[in-house]
Amino acid sequence: MPVATAAGPSTPGAAPGGAVIRTRGVVKRWGGTLALAGADVEIGPGVTGLLGANGSGKTTLLGLLLGLHAPDDGAIEVLGLDPTRAGPEVRARVGYSPEHHSLPPDVKAVDFVRHVGELHGLPRREATGRASDVLWQLGLGEERTRPLGTMSTGQRQRVKLAQAIVHDPVLVLLDEPTEGLDPVQRDDMLALIRRVGSEFGIHVVLSSHVLDEVERVADGAVILHAGRVVGSGSLADLQASSTGGVVVEPAGDPAAFVAAVEGRGHAVERAGDRLVVAGTGDEVFDVVRDALVATGLAVRRLEPRRRSLEEVFLASGLVGGQAAAEESWR
Amino acid sequence: MTEGPPPGGPTARILDRGYRPYRGPRTGVRGAVATVWLQSVQRALGIRRSAWAKVLPLASVAISYVPAIVFVGVVALIPDAREVGELDLPTFGEYFPFIQAAVLLFVSFVGPEILCTDRRTGMLGIYLASPLSRDTYLGAKALATFSVISLITVGPTLLMLVAYVLQGVGPDGPGGVAATFVRIIVSGLLLALLYTAVGLGVSSLTDRKAFATAALLLLMVVVSAFITVLVEESDLPGSLQGLSLLSGPFGLVELVHGERASIPGLGLPAALGGLAAWTALGLGVTHLRYRLLQVTR
Repeated sequence: MPVATAAGPSTPGAAPGGAVIRTRGVVKRWGGTLALAGADVEIGPGVTGLLGANGSGKTTLLGLLLGLHAPDDGAIEVLGLDPTRAGPEVRARVGYSPEHHSLPPDVKAVDFVRHVGELHGLPRREATGRASDVLWQLGLGEERTRPLGTMSTGQRQRVKLAQAIVHDPVLVLLDEPTEGLDPVQRDDMLALIRRVGSEFGIHVVLSSHVLDEVERVADGAVILHAGRVVGSGSLADLQASSTGGVVVEPAGDPAAFVAAVEGRGHAVERAGDRLVVAGTGDEVFDVVRDALVATGLAVRRLEPRRRSLEEVFLASGLVGGQAAAEESWR
Repeated sequence: MTEGPPPGGPTARILDRGYRPYRGPRTGVRGAVATVWLQSVQRALGIRRSAWAKVLPLASVAISYVPAIVFVGVVALIPDAREVGELDLPTFGEYFPFIQAAVLLFVSFVGPEILCTDRRTGMLGIYLASPLSRDTYLGAKALATFSVISLITVGPTLLMLVAYVLQGVGPDGPGGVAATFVRIIVSGLLLALLYTAVGLGVSSLTDRKAFATAALLLLMVVVSAFITVLVEESDLPGSLQGLSLLSGPFGLVELVHGERASIPGLGLPAALGGLAAWTALGLGVTHLRYRLLQVTR
């Protein structure tokens, strides 16, 4: 199975082989509901998107990674440890930002973040200093003494991120961190998450049902559908398509080039400034190269066509919800 | 005019320290338990909270100390009266019926404030994503509840003892003082244990503080009244009062102090048995409830 990884920060806490998280055949039922149906996940350093529709098992998987509940079957390894047996040790090195927005309304942001820092083992003086520092880093320096109940959703999402990283974790799990944000706040939050992964050197698992978010910030992705992993790997690998054709961004008039390519039997589609040449395998690259040489067209960009994660998701061929998961698991 | 930096002095300022990794020591599970204990005690007493949040806890604590302060004051103003029998002040064992209302009120809001709030505000998920487990989390919460309730089950009688001793009307000799001190601590901690367990048990069943508080008040009053009526009307043995949540435990305090229980027929085994039963039930319900609770979201 490919490891969902790409160039990221240093790899503190990564298990031998580079995997930060590794699960094998994890099954979890909630009563009669099969939440995870044999999930095999391998997540490497950097920012990784955990992608799936609501109810696909993302939150259940995060709970299992934190050791909050035990799997019915399968094995889990986080930072080289089994969270089922070494839950406190794992959780001491992991930060977690829950999905819900409700936080103690009458507690000041800095007190809340300091308290979580102390929970994760920081001495009081250190926790106090770091709480202020982290809130400054996340753009809440002036707001840090405000009660959480008076903050906007966007500010509370930042506070949740701050409490997740205040104790300098090796890995941080973010459950739907852009939920409830407007487009501007969402962009800011995604930039912060990217910064946490690249500048702060913390591995990030970003759980989301929004494909675009994962595409924008993640190095790799794991796609969950009805409790099963239907795609996993670096974003580049997942998006690369051997049947997708070639993207050309011409620097001049492409009419002659289009005619030449279409004359060789390949359809050409215009997408803004770019041309998407349909074709399979290496042959389409040869056709594009020959047409460019023949027409003398300069190009700004020439690359394999990459699929969006949405296309990857749809191409997985797995549709249906609980019934499909039960059937495929059996 | 703005003064510039002194000649030859430092001219650089740090505007952004950036994100700093932490490589120092960590306090582990023990530190997590300690911080949850401290935060819970502060929350229950309204410390670092609005003035409104301080009213109920401070009023309850103050009311529970008022009789002790009055008794001490009377003894201070009329030092000889007690010795000549002019004053019939209550004994240490008889103190708690005087503050029954304060005990009811305090116990009914401390447990819900400490336990319900975390589920209501989503803090429980954050706590359990830390080095705490469900058991260590509940241990910290129980310890906090126990500590706060001890303020009114140990403090007032201890204050009385210290004041009586200072005024020379305390128990006879160092041995008597030590024995009374131990009895005050033991009986106060037993009460705190009982009310901690019952408070947590009821609070674990709902995440709404108001519901839990109302349920606790009802439970303590209705159970006590029901048992009293049952014993008096049905001619059942007085030892059944050991299951009461007010008169039974208060009778136990009298018995621990070596006094005759004001409830006829209530002996130490029955009083201790009732306390043990309620404590086990409260702690069992809390443990079971949290073992089955889904907390990921």
